[in-house]
Amino acid sequence: MPPRFGTLDTSKFKPGNISDYKTDALTLKGVQILELHMEIDDDPADALIPKTMHPAIPMYAIFNVMHAPNSEWGPFTIAEVRAAGRTGVRPRGFVLRSYIDNDDAAKGLTSRWGFPVAKADVTLRVLHDRITGRVKLGGKTVLEVEEQDRDSISGNDIQYIASMHLAQSKVDNKLVVVQVDPEYVFHKAERGRPRVVTLDPEAFGATASSLNVMGAISACFTTADITLPKVRYICNPDVPAMQGTTKVAA
Amino acid sequence: MKFGLFYEISVPRPWNRETEKTVYDRCLEQVKLADELGFESVFAVEHHFLEEYSHCPAPELFLTACAMITKRIRVGHGIVVCVPEFNHPIKIAEKTAVLDILSGGRLEVGTGRSATWTELGGFRANPDETKKTWDEFVRCLPAMWTQERYSYQGRSWSMPQRTIVPKPYQKPHPPMWVAVTSPGTEIDAAERGMGSLGLTFGGFKEQEQKVNNYRKIIRQCEPVGKFINEKVATVNFLFCHPDDEAGVKTGMRLTGTFNYLASQLLAAREAYPTKSYPSLGLLPSLRREAAGPGDDSGAPEGIAIGNPARIIKALKTWESTGADQVNFLLNALETVPQEQVLNSLRLFAKEVMPHFQNKESATAAAGGR
Repeated sequence: MPPRFGTLDTSKFKPGNISDYKTDALTLKGVQILELHMEIDDDPADALIPKTMHPAIPMYAIFNVMHAPNSEWGPFTIAEVRAAGRTGVRPRGFVLRSYIDNDDAAKGLTSRWGFPVAKADVTLRVLHDRITGRVKLGGKTVLEVEEQDRDSISGNDIQYIASMHLAQSKVDNKLVVVQVDPEYVFHKAERGRPRVVTLDPEAFGATASSLNVMGAISACFTTADITLPKVRYICNPDVPAMQGTTKVAA
Repeated sequence: MKFGLFYEISVPRPWNRETEKTVYDRCLEQVKLADELGFESVFAVEHHFLEEYSHCPAPELFLTACAMITKRIRVGHGIVVCVPEFNHPIKIAEKTAVLDILSGGRLEVGTGRSATWTELGGFRANPDETKKTWDEFVRCLPAMWTQERYSYQGRSWSMPQRTIVPKPYQKPHPPMWVAVTSPGTEIDAAERGMGSLGLTFGGFKEQEQKVNNYRKIIRQCEPVGKFINEKVATVNFLFCHPDDEAGVKTGMRLTGTFNYLASQLLAAREAYPTKSYPSLGLLPSLRREAAGPGDDSGAPEGIAIGNPARIIKALKTWESTGADQVNFLLNALETVPQEQVLNSLRLFAKEVMPHFQNKESATAAAGGR
């Protein structure tokens, strides 16, 4: 087994509170998703992920901004920054922090899946020359990312990896890592050049060192129906996933 | 069916000059023994930046060392990366020719294009371009090996007329292969008259279908080289032990370690959406199969671990799919002690090889050590 594991200090993390592990799946139709992949400084980035994960080689960050035009909570836009790693042999993106523009959606996503979401002004703008995702917190832009040089590709070429996040479980009153593996039906897909215009690492629970963007990989923008499934697996954040994974639903 | 070795050269942390040298020395000791035992070939990968998983960025040097300490085993690039940011095609033609000369005409030239963002990004290569540059390179190589004067005006590279020297020892040139990981690449191999160097495998049925397609298409191929290299090789793990339970246990540790390491790497497709990489590349398939259903022993179907009887059964099934050769990975992170690796090779040569060879070569193999 590789000796590199995450070193996240979970006591400093701001987790969401998950009510139970029995939530139903939720389908969101016609969601627009902007996702950037950027390489980040390898060694300090180990501090972004919990011990349950290995860092990817090389480490990269996922910047994800989604606009759901319809949901049971009304329209919402959510932005996340994730650090890519592995739980055992599986690629996963660990959610550092999420921001959302809809209070009801924030409550629903937190209580049902434990997403670590906070309220902010989140926007996704689709222009002809670029697509821009932006998070403003207290009037200050803490994240602005872009896809430029847009080119159509097939949805079959897209492979979003599942996400994981730390949550405070009300079921057993402990910190757990929750795995969410959404299913996607793509209607449109494109790929372009990624650009991080503004990033305040501290707004995402990181530091300038741990979330230090080193290079561009790709940006893609899709329109898809997304199904957030019920929670099936949780992990103990303090031990490797191979030893600390629990199945909570079939 | 013939058997070869396949080297990634996996080095565990902590890395220091002694650990790196020890692993390389052990690999060379294995190759020397394999030569004496009658193995057909040794292939070595070209990988860069794949920490712990593969410390083999200069296979031509490792293969040269292999050639210098052996007499008959063939030495193969498995593969040389045909992407200009990694290797200039003139250098590929020159270095392979020298290696062919030094080995006395024992070179096999596997070609490919890299499958990880870890490597492609490291060289700032464009994943959309790699299949195109590979195709251009493999058409150029035979001409560079065989024409006294050569010039080229191409898409990804060009050169004015020069004399590329030396020429390979084998005439007209060494056999050429294609690394087959993505679905459909076996068709690319067949259409170009090149050997199919399988680096992953699905189930037996899938393999049989791939081989049938390959054999059918290669009959109408337009070879890139001066001859057709109609061969299908697949890759497997090997740990052969007199005690089946002990063999399976150690073999599972080997396969688990290898696959675990591979999954830490960043596949091109995971990071960079592109139709150029329709699969995750080298190892997910191997991983899936190595973790797939087997029998009560826990050994996955088709993996060459366990006692000789179990391994013969697995390899007979591979043989029935039409594969000409199986190349074996022997270790990962030095999880199997060297003496056990060597004993596994000896037992395999003595008990397994005779079931796949004619009588003459089997006798030679069994008496090799």
